[in-house]
Parts: sequence; structure tokens; C-alpha cells
Amino acid sequence: MLLPFFLRSLEAAMIFTFAGLGELVNQRSGVLNVGIEGMMLFGATVGFIVAQSSGSYVAGFLAGAAVGLLLGLLHAFFSITLRVDQVVSGMGIWIFGFGVTTYLGAPHAGPLGMERLQTLFGISPFVYVAVALTLVTWFVLQRTSLGLALRAAGETPAVAEVSGINVTRLRYLATAFGGLMGGFAGALYALYYNPVWNYNFIMGWGFISLALVFFSMWNPVVLFGGAVLFGLLWQLSLNPELLAVGVLSRYLWRTTPFIATMLILVVISTGWFRRRWGAARPQALGQPYIKE
Amino acid sequence: MKVGSRRIGFVRRDTISGWQAFLISTVSVIVGLIVFSLVFVVSDVSPLTAYREIFGYAFLSPSGFRLVLNRFIFLALCTFAFLIPYRAGLWNIGMTGQVYMGGLAAYGVVYLLGGKTNPNLEVSAWLVLPAMIAAAAAAGALWAAIAGFLKDRWDVNEIVVTMMLNFVGSFIVSHMTKEGGPFMNRGGGSEGFPLPTSLRAPVFADIPFTALFVAVLAVALHLLFTRSSLGFQIRAFGMSPRAAQYAGIRTHRMGLLVFLLGGAIAGLAAYHQFAAVPGVYKIPRDYEIVGDTAFFGIICGLIAQGNALASLPVALLFAAASIGGRAAQGKLHLAFGLDFALMGVLMIVLVGFQFLYRYRLAFRAVGVETPPAGAEAAAEARGRGSEA
Repeated sequence: MLLPFFLRSLEAAMIFTFAGLGELVNQRSGVLNVGIEGMMLFGATVGFIVAQSSGSYVAGFLAGAAVGLLLGLLHAFFSITLRVDQVVSGMGIWIFGFGVTTYLGAPHAGPLGMERLQTLFGISPFVYVAVALTLVTWFVLQRTSLGLALRAAGETPAVAEVSGINVTRLRYLATAFGGLMGGFAGALYALYYNPVWNYNFIMGWGFISLALVFFSMWNPVVLFGGAVLFGLLWQLSLNPELLAVGVLSRYLWRTTPFIATMLILVVISTGWFRRRWGAARPQALGQPYIKE
Repeated sequence: MKVGSRRIGFVRRDTISGWQAFLISTVSVIVGLIVFSLVFVVSDVSPLTAYREIFGYAFLSPSGFRLVLNRFIFLALCTFAFLIPYRAGLWNIGMTGQVYMGGLAAYGVVYLLGGKTNPNLEVSAWLVLPAMIAAAAAAGALWAAIAGFLKDRWDVNEIVVTMMLNFVGSFIVSHMTKEGGPFMNRGGGSEGFPLPTSLRAPVFADIPFTALFVAVLAVALHLLFTRSSLGFQIRAFGMSPRAAQYAGIRTHRMGLLVFLLGGAIAGLAAYHQFAAVPGVYKIPRDYEIVGDTAFFGIICGLIAQGNALASLPVALLFAAASIGGRAAQGKLHLAFGLDFALMGVLMIVLVGFQFLYRYRLAFRAVGVETPPAGAEAAAEARGRGSEA
């Protein structure tokens, strides 16, 4: 009983991890993306429709990732080239995703109707990919010149530019990566974790992933830890009988991951936490870079 | 780009006249509607037929227009709920959750009076209706205040918090109205109990009196932001919290203030939607779709650039699109959610147009010095402080 629960939590965690890693790299370059929910909704819905109509999981995953990539590029175009406020652009992408996917997905409402993807030692192989990608992201950010350039673009873009880094190009790259990961995470949600299309079925996972990035102090390894924690919380909210029988209705249990997200945001926003760990926040996060 | 002896480029502008803003917003809506035509073309429906179907039902059929007016009241109130925090630089995307809490509170009053078990409850509407309205406003305000308080106290990201509160609120409504919840309809059916007939809101010429909320608040908010010092303080805070502080504005309660006001108005929207719209008079089974309709308030507020009066025609347009869209999707065999799709497409077009609020196309003779870019960068760098 407990082992399947734990394995399922890891599968939820992998989705938070993919979406969160994209957002983390995105933010490290100085671009905030609050529209990750919309990218996940798009990746999920397009991936679902393509997989269902072509009968191919590969096509579904590729389509989900591709639509995420396009939205990432759109966010980059708005916020880097047009210098639209990053929050406005992100909100736009979220509402775009929510509105359009509701319409696109409605005729496909219901189960995917395909044979389930294979597992490896009881869990989706993508869990291992998520772990590997966490380590690779950490390594690239901390130990390579690309990572250094990326972080420089997010901390002091003017200085980065002087030292020969093309800030605009790097930010485009990072934002596109963020979109790609968001779209892929959505596809993974719709094609594996919860393969039933339903109205607004990403259920705030994009916003939770965003909160996880703040929680991670922009460190991929901490992000993965947070993702596992939220995977556990989410599964627990679906199976409260593991903890307590008959206490509270099943609906009230469902609120717990959302309340936990708020609590964690509060803790990391306190003066105590900021003094201790707050320096990790990319200094130029949210600010457009204007070449002088 | 050079054309002859002239250079064409975009120049940053610091101010924008009301007329220019109106023009840009109008053009963005028109472009959005044109872009959205693609959806019809893909579905093999002529866009002209589709728009005639949508707006014809909305404005020319009496039954459609009644629905539009009711939807308009709801959307206008949700827009006000969004734009008060927006003027202070804060994002309230939690109208949905505030609407849920307002609806539960209004029905909570009825429940306490025994209205669940007795549909023929004999009470004075003069006493109970104000109590329901006050309870709805208070519940919406308190729910929103969570985000405002956390923003003021620890600078917690209000976007994530209000969104999380939407989900929490949604599950609380399910808890109350489904599977034997206290507010569940006695006949079963996974929806709230019906409002006793004696407590239905007064209706004048098919319009519930809640239209007054919209009229009064539109004027009040307009005066607040153009005439009062409080409105000036909110706007100054929205431009730069730090500068507002240096100017002597008490900023440490600003988030709480604007979210209380916004949330209270969302509570009024809830009262209207669940207890005043003829034919509804309950928290319906598909309350989530009603709740998410509140997101239209975001786009209305943005198109109107935070101006309460300007938001009214925008809210009317979206009310028509929303009601007409639902009607047209049945008639033209389109999928559910046509109105949400329109909201999404218009939103993304609008974001692109944001560029024009801050830059304008300029033709300049080559060789004329442009002002130093440093000043622009400094203006850009003003922290919004709304992340993390």
C-alpha cells in the first residue's frame, strides 16, 4: 500500500521537476515566467490530442514539447524584444493557455484510450530522466562557462554584455528552454500521470512549480527535493485514508497542497529566511535589459 | 530603418493621452477579433456568420440580451475587483476564489435562518438581503485580504497566493455543496440548496437591482482614482512602492487595503451571480465554470488600462461574447469554451499591443541627436517588486 503510494508520488514529482527546472533556468537568465501554467495546459492538451489522433506517444510528447517551445519563444519575444512587463506577458500566456485549451480539448474530454506507457522498476522511466536532468542542470549552471554566462545575464546583464556575452540571445535561449520544459511537463501529465482530459486539468501545477522555484533558492537539487515533497503532498491529498480515516471530507483534503504552497512561500519570504538564503535570487530578475 | 534622409524607429514615450490609449485598446480588440476568426475558419464556419450569430444573439434577441446584462454586471464587478489592486501594481487573479467565498457566505446567512429546509421561508427581505450582501462582501474581502496581508508583511508573491486561494476556495465549495455537504440541495444533485422565493433579489424590468452596484461603484472608483488623495496614493504606490514611501505615503498597509476593497467587490459579484440572477438562485453544480468566468475581469481591466469607467464597455463586449459564444457553439456545432478561447486570444494580442503603450513609431531626420539612453534605462529599472 505504501510503496505504490510513494512511487506514484515520485511520478508526480517528476512533472514538478521538469516544469520547475525550465522555470529555474528561465529565471536564472533574468526572465520571470508566471505563465508556466498556460504552457503546461497547452503541452498537455496538444500532446493529448496529437497522441490520441495519431496513436503515437512519441508524436504526443514531441507536439507537447514543441508547443511549449513556441510559447517560450513568444514570451521571450514579448518580454525581451518588445520589453513588455514580464508579469503582463506571463499572465497573458496563462490566460491564452487556459482559454484556448478549454476550447481545443473539450471535444476530446475523457480518457486517452491508449495502452499505458511502460514503467521501469515500477515507475515511469522519466523519473530517472528528471533526476539526471536535475544534476545536469546543476552542473551546467555551476560548472560551465555557459552556466556562468547565463547567471551573469540574470544578475548584472550590463556587465555580462561588456564581457562579451550576448544577453539577449542567452535570455531567448533560457526562455525557450523554460517553455519547452513546461510543455513537456504538461504532456507528461496528460499522457502518463493523469491521462484523462478534463476542464482545466493541470490544476495549478504550473503555479505550484513557480512557487517551487522560489522555494529552491534557484538551486536545481533543492528544487528536486521540493518537487518530491509536493509529489508526496499531492498524493496524500488524494489518499487521505493513509493518514487518517474519516476525518474531513475528501474535498477538504484536496486543499492541502495549495495551502502548503502558500505556507512555503510565506516561510521563504520571511526576513529570517531572506537574510540567511535570500542572496540567491537573480538580481535582474523581472527587469528587461536595454542595451546602452 | 532608414528611408531616404529619415530614420524610422520606435521611440519610448513617457506619457500617453487618454485618446491614444483608447485608440490602442480599440485597435487591439479589433485585431484580436480578426485573429480569432482563424478559429472559425479552421472549424469551417464563416467568421462573419459566426460573429453575426454571437453578437446577434447577444444584442438583438431579448432573451439573449437579458442574459448579457446579467453577465455584464458580474464581469464589471469582477473587473473592479481586479483593477483596484492593479492600480497599486498588484495582481489579483483570485476573483474566482473570492466569488466562491462570497457565494458561500451569502447562502450561509440563508442557511442560518433555516432557508435550506424551508423553501417557503417567511422572513423580511428588507433585513435578510442586506445581511446576505454584507456577508458576501465581507467574505470576499477577507479571502482576498490573505494575499494583501502576506504581500505587505513579507512581500509574498500575490499571483501565486491568489491562485492557490482559488483552488482552496473551489474545493471548499465542493465540500459544502456536494456529497452530503451542509449546503447540498436536499433533492441531491450535487449543487447548493435553492434560495427561498421570498429572498430573491428585486428585479426591475428584468434587471436585478445589483446593476446599481455597478453604476455606483463605477462612479465611485472613477472619483477615487481621479479626485481623492487615497486614489493618488494607490496609484503612486503602483508606479513605485519605494518612491511612494519617500513621498510620505503610508505604504505598509497598501496591499491589505486594495485587496480588501477588491475582494469585497468580488463578493458583491458572487451575491449577484448566485442570488440575484433570475433563473439561477443557487450555487450550481458547474460553479467552476461560473467562477472561472471571473478571469474575464483581468482582461477587461487591462484593456481599460485600469480605468473603471472605460472598463464598462469592455465588460459589456465580453459579456456579449461570453453569452453569444455559448449560444453560437450549439448552433454552429463548435466545441464548448468558445468564449474562453476568445478571452485567451484577445489576451495574447493585447499583450503584444502593450508595446505600443510605451513606444511610438517615429520618423526622424538622420543626424539628429537622440536623448541619451541612460535615462530610459533608469526609468525601466524602477522595481515593481512583485516577484518572489
